[in-house]
Amino acid sequence: MLAIALALLFLTPAVVLAGAAKKISLWYPAGDITAGAAHFGDKTLFTEFETKYNVKVDAVALDYDTMQQKIFAAAAGKNIADILFIDDSWAPGFLKEEMLEPVADAKAKAWLEAVSPEIRTLSDYGKGRMWGYVQYGIDVYGLTWNKDQFREVGLDPEKPPKTWDEFRDYAKKLTKRDAQGNITRVGYAIRHAGQPHGIVHKHFWAIYGGGAKLVDDHYALRGGKTMINTPGGKAALQLILDMLDVDKSTSLNFPDPRAAFLKGIAAMQISETVSIRARQPKEAPDLKWGMALPPVPKAGDKPATNLGGWLYTVPKLSKNKADAWKLIEWLNSPEKDYDLCKKYNASPRYKVNWDKEPFKSDPYNQGLKQLYPSGIKLPINLGFNGVMDATGAAIQKVWHHEASVDAALAEAERLGNKSLADATK
Amino acid sequence: MSTPGRRTFRQTLGRLRSRHILHAYLFIAPVILLFGLFRILPSVQTLLYSFFKVELIKGRFTFIGLDNFRDLLTDEIFQRATLNTMKYVVTIVPVSAILGLLLAVLFNAKFRCQEFFKAVYFSPMVTSTVAAAMVWWWMYNPQFGIFNVLLKLVGLPEQPWLMSSHTALTSVIIFSIWKTLGYNMIIYLAGLQAIPPQFYEAATIDGAGPVAQFFRITIPLLAPTTTFIVIYNSILAFQVFDQVFVLTGGGPANSTNVVVLDLYRQAFERYNFGYASAEAMVLFLFILGVTLLQYVYSKRYEVSY
Repeated sequence: MLAIALALLFLTPAVVLAGAAKKISLWYPAGDITAGAAHFGDKTLFTEFETKYNVKVDAVALDYDTMQQKIFAAAAGKNIADILFIDDSWAPGFLKEEMLEPVADAKAKAWLEAVSPEIRTLSDYGKGRMWGYVQYGIDVYGLTWNKDQFREVGLDPEKPPKTWDEFRDYAKKLTKRDAQGNITRVGYAIRHAGQPHGIVHKHFWAIYGGGAKLVDDHYALRGGKTMINTPGGKAALQLILDMLDVDKSTSLNFPDPRAAFLKGIAAMQISETVSIRARQPKEAPDLKWGMALPPVPKAGDKPATNLGGWLYTVPKLSKNKADAWKLIEWLNSPEKDYDLCKKYNASPRYKVNWDKEPFKSDPYNQGLKQLYPSGIKLPINLGFNGVMDATGAAIQKVWHHEASVDAALAEAERLGNKSLADATK
Repeated sequence: MSTPGRRTFRQTLGRLRSRHILHAYLFIAPVILLFGLFRILPSVQTLLYSFFKVELIKGRFTFIGLDNFRDLLTDEIFQRATLNTMKYVVTIVPVSAILGLLLAVLFNAKFRCQEFFKAVYFSPMVTSTVAAAMVWWWMYNPQFGIFNVLLKLVGLPEQPWLMSSHTALTSVIIFSIWKTLGYNMIIYLAGLQAIPPQFYEAATIDGAGPVAQFFRITIPLLAPTTTFIVIYNSILAFQVFDQVFVLTGGGPANSTNVVVLDLYRQAFERYNFGYASAEAMVLFLFILGVTLLQYVYSKRYEVSY
C-alpha cells in the first residue's frame, strides 16, 4: 500500500505536467479603440485553437495610450508577450529597435498573393517584406455626413460634396447658429486638439489630395525628406483656415469630430469609417449617415485618404515563437477570416471572401471597396514620428492663428527633416 | 595580540555595539539599501546615459560625449518646453503661496463649519491628479463644460480653454493652483499657530492695526514657512507632468509642452534614452540651482521664538 501511495505521489505531478497545455500570451489594446481589439474579449475566440494544439492563449488588454511604451519597457526588460497586436503606425518605432520578427519570405509571398489590394498595401513593407499580418476590418478614412441634416438645408442626401469648393459651400449651408450668433452645429468638424498624430491623420486627405506628402518615399526606412511645405500643403491648411475665418462653417469648439457627428452637432466629418460604423448603433441609433471619399481640390483630381490597420506581430524576444506564429496563421487563414468577419461584422482580407455573402451585398462593405483604391499607407520611415509631430503642430498653429501658413509649414519642414536626418544616425 | 594605537576588527565591533551605533546602522540599512537601489543608482545611471547614444533593446551604448547636450541647445521643442516650464513655475509658486497664506489667515480665526471648509480646500491635495485632471478636462470642454456655462450666464465670451494655444497653459496653471492650494494653506496654518500671541498683544498695545500686524509680524515670522513652501512648490512645479499629460498632452502646438513631458516622449515614444537622460540632467541642474539659491537667500530670514 505504501509503495502504491509513494508511486502515485511521484507519478501524478509528472503525468499532469506532461499533459498541461503550453501557454502563450497576446497583448492588445483595451476598450473600443479599435473594433478588432474588442474581439479578444470573446472567451470563445481561441477555444478551437487551444483544443487543437493544446496551447493556452492568454490575451491581455493594455491601456492604448501607454501600450507602446509598455511594450518597449517589456522588451528592454526581456519579458515580453509572444504576440503583439499593434497599430501599424507603431511599427517603424519597433523596427528601429529591431524588435520584430519578419514573416518568412514564402509565407509573405503567399499572403500577398491571396489578399485584396488594400491589405497587400498595408502588409508590404517594401519588396514583399512583411513584419506581421494585418487584421480584418482595416481602417480607411472617409467623409461621413448626416443625411437628415442634408435634407433639412435642401441638399441631396445621397450626393456628398466632391470638390473643395462644393465642400465649403455645403459646410456653410449646414452650419447652424443660435440667436446670439454662436455656432450650435458646424458644417464640418475639425480635429485640432490632442495628440498631434491624430490631427494629421484627420487632415491627411487634404494634404495628400492637395498634392503634398509627409515623406517623399513612403517605403524608405531611412533618409528622404518631407514634402509638406509645398503649394499643396499650403492649400490644405488654408482650406480649413478659410472655413474657420471666412465661412465660419467650422469651429475650434468642436474638437472631437466623431463625437460631434454622432451627437448631431456636426453635419460632416472625416475620420475612420469603421469607428462610425461600430459606434453609431449604440450612440446614435437614429442617425442616417452616408460615406464617401473625401473631396478633392477640383473636379478630376485624384482623391486621397489614409489607410491603416492593426498588425499581429511576434517580437524577437518571444519565448514561444513557433506557437505564436501558429496562432497567428490559424487566426489569419481564409476560413477563419470568413468566419470571424461574419461573426464580428468586419470587412474580410482575402479576395476569395469578398465574393461571398454577406460581404458581397452588404452596402457598408461595398462602400468601403469604393474608398480602398484611394487609400494611402503611412510612411514607414524611422524618423516619421518627428514629421507627424511637426506637421500636427503646424496645423494647430495655423488654425489657432499663432502663425501664418507659410511660417508654420516652413518650421514643420525644418523640424521634420531634422527628425528624418536624426533617424539615419 | 593587537598593536597599541591600532584597534582590531573585534574591538571596533565591540565599541560600535556598546554605543548602539551598529544597531542604528542595522535599523536604517533597509531604507539606505532601498534608497540607493531605487534613487541613487538610477540617478547615476541617468547621468551616465546622458553621455551615450543608448539603444536599450539592442544593448548597444555608444559614447558620444557632450553631443546630447549640444543638440539640446538647438532643439526648438526642448527650448519651448523649458520656456513653458519656467512660465509655469514663476506663476504657480507665488500665486499658490499667496492664496494659501490668505486662506490660512482666514482659517486661523474661529467660525462655524471651519473644519468642513478646511477639508474642502484640502481635498484636492489628496485626490489623484489624473482623476482630478479628467474631471477638469470635462469642466474645460468648450461646448459642455461648466466654465463656459458660467461665463455665458454672466454675459462674458466663452473661452476655448485647453483647445487654444493662447489659453491652454493658463488653464493648466489654474488647475495646478487649485490642486496645491490646500497643502500650502495647511502648512501656513501650522506656521501661523506657532507664532506666540504675545507679539500681537504687544503690537495691539502699541496701537498697531490688523494690517500693520499682518505685514510687520505675520509675514516676517512666517519667513521660514514661506521658504519651505517656495522651495517645495518650485521642485514640484519644475517636475510637472501628470496634469499636462492628461489635460493637453503638451498641445496645442507644444504650447503646454514641459520638460518632463518632452523627456518622456524622447524616451518612450522615440526611444532616445540618451537624449532624454541629458534633458533629465539639465532639469536636475535647474532644480538644484534654484533650490540652492532659495536656500542661501532664505538664511537671512531665519527666525526663532
